[in-house]
Amino acid sequence: MNLQRRPDQVLPVVAEGLGKKYRRGWALRETSLVIPGNRVVALVGPNGAGKSTLMGLITGLLRPTTGAIAVFGDRPAGRGLHPAVSYLAQQKPLYPQFTVTETLTFGARTNPTWDQRYAEHLIAQAGVPMGAKVGTLSGGQRTRVALALALGKRPGLLLLDEPLADLDPLAREAVLRTLLTEARSQGITVVLSSHVLAELEGVCDHLVLLHKGRILLAGDVSRLSANGVPLGELALRHMRAAAQGEAA
Amino acid sequence: MNSLTATAVGKRYRARWAVRDCGFAIPEGKVVALVGPNGAGKSTLLRMAAGLSRPTTGELKVFGTPVQGRIHPDVAFLAQERPLYHDLTVRELVRLCAAMNDRWSTERVREVLGLQAGVDHNAKVGSLSGGGRTQVAIALALGRLPRLLLLDEPLADLDPLARDETLRIIMTEVADRGTTVVMSSHLLSDLHEVCDHILLIDEGRVQVDGDIQEVLARHRILVGPAAGESTVEGTLISATRTERQSTLLLREAEPAPRGWASTEPDLESLVMGYLRASRERRNSAQHK
Amino acid sequence: MIWASWRQQRLQLITLLGLLVVGVGAIALLRSSMLDSITSSQLTACVTQPLQDCAVPEAAKAFQEEWSNPLDMARLLIICVPALIGVFIGAPLFARELEQGTYVLAFTQSVSRTRWMLSKLVIALVPALVVLIALQYLVTWWLSAAGTLGPLKNGAFTALNFGIAHASPVGYALFAFALGTFLGVVSRRTLVAMTAGLGAFVVVRFALSGLVNSLVPTQRVEGTPDRQLTVHEDGSLVLADGYLDTAGQPVPEDEVNALIQACKTTPAGAGTPESQQEFLACLPKSGLAKQYADVIGESQAWQVHLADVAIFGGLAVLLLAGTAWVLRRQN
Repeated sequence: MNLQRRPDQVLPVVAEGLGKKYRRGWALRETSLVIPGNRVVALVGPNGAGKSTLMGLITGLLRPTTGAIAVFGDRPAGRGLHPAVSYLAQQKPLYPQFTVTETLTFGARTNPTWDQRYAEHLIAQAGVPMGAKVGTLSGGQRTRVALALALGKRPGLLLLDEPLADLDPLAREAVLRTLLTEARSQGITVVLSSHVLAELEGVCDHLVLLHKGRILLAGDVSRLSANGVPLGELALRHMRAAAQGEAA
Repeated sequence: MNSLTATAVGKRYRARWAVRDCGFAIPEGKVVALVGPNGAGKSTLLRMAAGLSRPTTGELKVFGTPVQGRIHPDVAFLAQERPLYHDLTVRELVRLCAAMNDRWSTERVREVLGLQAGVDHNAKVGSLSGGGRTQVAIALALGRLPRLLLLDEPLADLDPLARDETLRIIMTEVADRGTTVVMSSHLLSDLHEVCDHILLIDEGRVQVDGDIQEVLARHRILVGPAAGESTVEGTLISATRTERQSTLLLREAEPAPRGWASTEPDLESLVMGYLRASRERRNSAQHK
Repeated sequence: MIWASWRQQRLQLITLLGLLVVGVGAIALLRSSMLDSITSSQLTACVTQPLQDCAVPEAAKAFQEEWSNPLDMARLLIICVPALIGVFIGAPLFARELEQGTYVLAFTQSVSRTRWMLSKLVIALVPALVVLIALQYLVTWWLSAAGTLGPLKNGAFTALNFGIAHASPVGYALFAFALGTFLGVVSRRTLVAMTAGLGAFVVVRFALSGLVNSLVPTQRVEGTPDRQLTVHEDGSLVLADGYLDTAGQPVPEDEVNALIQACKTTPAGAGTPESQQEFLACLPKSGLAKQYADVIGESQAWQVHLADVAIFGGLAVLLLAGTAWVLRRQN
């Protein structure tokens, strides 16, 4: 498995003054953010804080109202996902009638940069039978197939929206382990949103904390929690302070 | 008196038994962690206790009364899918539930909603986030002033702050009113904070049932050289092995032989150990 | 519980009200326009007289050409409304709750499943029936203004006239509604309940119409074979007709056809008045003594309507009981 050849200077995500307004209000406001390469980023925040919006803007599924965003130096043009970006939505969309093999074929047909051997390796590692129909798989197995589909196109940036929701503890551990291993070995930048910080602690090395469309905290964990405060505790403290600041 | 008892309870859907021969008794005032892999039968058990479906075999009793196709007036249930009417506003939904209940406290509902950030009473329920809907559903369940609270994955959609608030609300409920709580969840670290009783269901059967402290005390985690596994005595639940090292979860373990480190497991390690064991059983059954 | 059901069905009830207002307005306007047309064509007297006595036959014909379509549409409306009630009000009533899973909320409150079900039923059904009855009354009011120039002259038993009169529309509506709710709880899918409900309603409605007729006692009218019995033209419902032999027993149809054929081939030339008289004299000699018809007279129509409502209403009750049973057993 060869490492992704990407010039180190081109950062996965650079956002400046990024904002998105819907009819009901601003989902994201004046956000300036840099996501450095080769990180596993935890995207955290209450519901409605703007996590899905930020992901949508990075993938190009949404257009910014203000500001600009560059993914690997290119502006998401709204013409389909950037070839180096992979996105796994929360509901893990797969076709239940397809077998796993057919799902991978689908991936091959819809992605120019597809690596069939790598995808099959991931499926084998997860212990999922290739001939099984996706609809008959358990939640954890489906997540692994969706992950193989997302990683099969050899992205430089992988975005995951709540990938661990609905998974039992064993499956969560397995998925996180796979993510970490593949991110490190393939040099992929991973951005995952999750509510359960305790289990991200060993995995994520960069934190972005959102609150009401603004960034409360962003940076490498080693720098943010210099005195060894766990990630979860840190985020909770800031979220509480922000909530109290609002109530006041 | 026990708040919830199950005697040989089983539930079959067509060819498959979702729950089989389950028996347990939960004393009043306990906070029970209902854990197990997905598809183990946790939701099925909770739904049967709430009177939504009838057991194929056996019987469930709530405060001594058998459950027969309707929810006991002292019980409140939070379903995993958070069934709410999406085109009503929060205020109208509260009013709807008030109309459908004999014993009801709108003040309690408002109090709980007020303790949780971010729920606009005039918003349509359908426009709330998944976490917001969970918060509303929990508040509605508490409005029934229940003595037994059945919660199916109550923390699933909630962000860390909301989870913290919800656990606090549950704990206050238990402390003030002595409510018995049975909550199923995958988030073991959260459960450990609030629960004092564990019920582990796997493949439709009860694998572990008891006070958390007692259960943990009865198990040991032994770490030692893989070659020396045969010297270890006790009931092996599951093992993770590398080339040189074995980590074993044992029940009723004898004192550890030399070269082995023995610790009492925490809730997560215990549950993960049992889950691993059942996954191995499932895998080997498939390959036969 | 009433407020709860009202709030959930609020949109539906407001739509019904809107349709009623539109219906009232349209029918009132059309009726007054029709009355103007009648007076301006000097047809006022003709409306209450038999068609052949009308003094201005060309104007009558023109009137009929102009107004028969709108009047037919009006009758069709009342024929269709029961089916629409079943499809749009009955079918989604429980199917939607089961499909979206919101029934779990209702079932985990203190209200009993039966009371919840009854409350939803009443709030859905009563306003729909009120609108149906109002529209039925208005359409009948309009139709009777056309009198003998309108479709009502065809008699009480024609398909379109029968289906809109008396309590029959309410009976059909109850059946359609109950069928919709039952299919809704059984299939747990709104679209399936709507389409299957429509199909099943149409099939049953037509299959049972013959049955209804056989439940009401008929009268036998007899007459000489020389001219057609009046009952074929006066709006009565003829359920059976044929010939009687000298003993007063009905003659089987194939025998009747054979005997008539035999009588037709007489020595005299065809079509002449003598051959006609000979034909008519031949029939009694062959054993076809009298014509008969088993009829239900127009004045007995109310009895048929009663049987209609009893059957469809009875089916509705059975289906509603079935719906309640399925909901209570809901697993």
